[in-house]
Amino acid sequence: MAERVPIREGTFQEGPDGGTLLANKCKSCGQIFFPKAKLCQACLHEELEEAPLSRKGTLYSYTIAHMPSSFFPPPHAMGYVAFPEGVRVFAPLKIVEDKPFDVGMEMEVVIEKLADLDEKEVIGYVFKPVLG
Amino acid sequence: MREVAVLGVGQSTFGKMPEVSAAVLGRDAVLAAIKDAGISGRDIQVAYSSRLYDAAITSQDVLKEVGVTGLEMINVENACAGGATAVRGVWKEIASGHYDVGVAIGVESMTTSPIARKLIPPGKDDIEGQLGLTMPAVFALLARRQMHESGATPEDFAQVSVKNHHHGCLNPYAQYKKEFTVEEVLASRMICEPITLLQCCPNTDGSAAVVLCSMDFARKHTTHPVKIAGSALLSAGYSWQQKDITSSPLGVETARRAYEMAGCGPEDIDLVELHDAFSTEEILRYEDLGLCKPGEGVAFLRSGAPALGGKVPVNPSGGLLSLGHPLSASGVRVVAEVTTHLRGQAGERQVEGAKVGLAHMLGGFAAGLEAGACGIHILTR
Repeated sequence: MAERVPIREGTFQEGPDGGTLLANKCKSCGQIFFPKAKLCQACLHEELEEAPLSRKGTLYSYTIAHMPSSFFPPPHAMGYVAFPEGVRVFAPLKIVEDKPFDVGMEMEVVIEKLADLDEKEVIGYVFKPVLG
Repeated sequence: MREVAVLGVGQSTFGKMPEVSAAVLGRDAVLAAIKDAGISGRDIQVAYSSRLYDAAITSQDVLKEVGVTGLEMINVENACAGGATAVRGVWKEIASGHYDVGVAIGVESMTTSPIARKLIPPGKDDIEGQLGLTMPAVFALLARRQMHESGATPEDFAQVSVKNHHHGCLNPYAQYKKEFTVEEVLASRMICEPITLLQCCPNTDGSAAVVLCSMDFARKHTTHPVKIAGSALLSAGYSWQQKDITSSPLGVETARRAYEMAGCGPEDIDLVELHDAFSTEEILRYEDLGLCKPGEGVAFLRSGAPALGGKVPVNPSGGLLSLGHPLSASGVRVVAEVTTHLRGQAGERQVEGAKVGLAHMLGGFAAGLEAGACGIHILTR
């Protein structure tokens, strides 16, 4: 089985119930950053702590690309999901039949293979419409 | 600070010309600007050039073609706002009294750049870019929010392209001189929903140059100098600071600074040249620049205000959509275009009676930031 490598270390974790995005939070002013910030971009405080985001958020915007990009052949759906913690995150979207994208719909984080690169599987986070 | 005038403007042909070097593209624009200014190349005391791809000592490379050497030459890059940055650089040199005459040059040979026939690639640490967030995708995501928030329709977006292509048909410098209907724009190849091919600016080679000088120097050469009344350049804040992605703190603040310096407001503006990299974007910029209230960009478009003959024609040149977008050249080209209108020399595309014009350029996309930089110049006659 091919080695699995994350698209970027420390941005997500896989659990039995799916995926979680790992943000960080300023210990002084509470501002949350994803991807994690080296220092607080709001108050310049240097101490931040890891802050996992909720597993679900709402679709803020979306598009389907009909041209290729770095890793992805068309059609490639992408969008921003707004998390309850007040963070907007960009990621590929999973196209689910009979569940067309709509601004405001509930989405969840899923960890899966994004691409094959140098005989390795690049894994990352994608957002999928919550079924039911 | 001293008053600064635009004395001469020039541009090269815009198009796909891989056989023409950047130095030669720049040469054509500089020669045109010097001739238009009615000065000798030897009068130039300082030069700022902007070029994004494969660039080194662009000022020297261009100006050696026209017999200008041995002076202070500065080379800048600020993504698509590079040209505006070069104009502002020369403006500062003259306003501060360091020099009396200078030239700002923007040049780009897109067809021979490393990104020829490609999209602008994501940075190495740009995780969003690696996940597929290309420039068309950025604007497509914005467009979806515009539809959600202000009721914009794909037809509205297409109408911007129809308008700018119509303007381009009146401009001898436009790369694409062709009229399109809303239906044709919508039926062109889908790029990133809802943005179709005819709503994306093409990759283009080209150059533009402007000769700036002190008002005292200008009055010796012309009876009708065009003045740079406002100049502002600002880098963007973080994207997390945007309450909504359709509102642009960068654009609003840059415009506020330019209006404040010029001592005027959006109601005084007779024409605007702005960054319409995608048709959908132009509607957002109406709002940033205060041409209408926030959220009313679509209504402003539908009213016909931004078309030639309307209240505030926007992109009477044809914009990036029909001229093409030689990245660093566009920020200089918009200043040249506004100047041409203020002089009443814009031919068929002339905005009648224009007295105050605004030249806008926006550039760059970096992970985590709203954008790269925004540059605005307000010109008066």
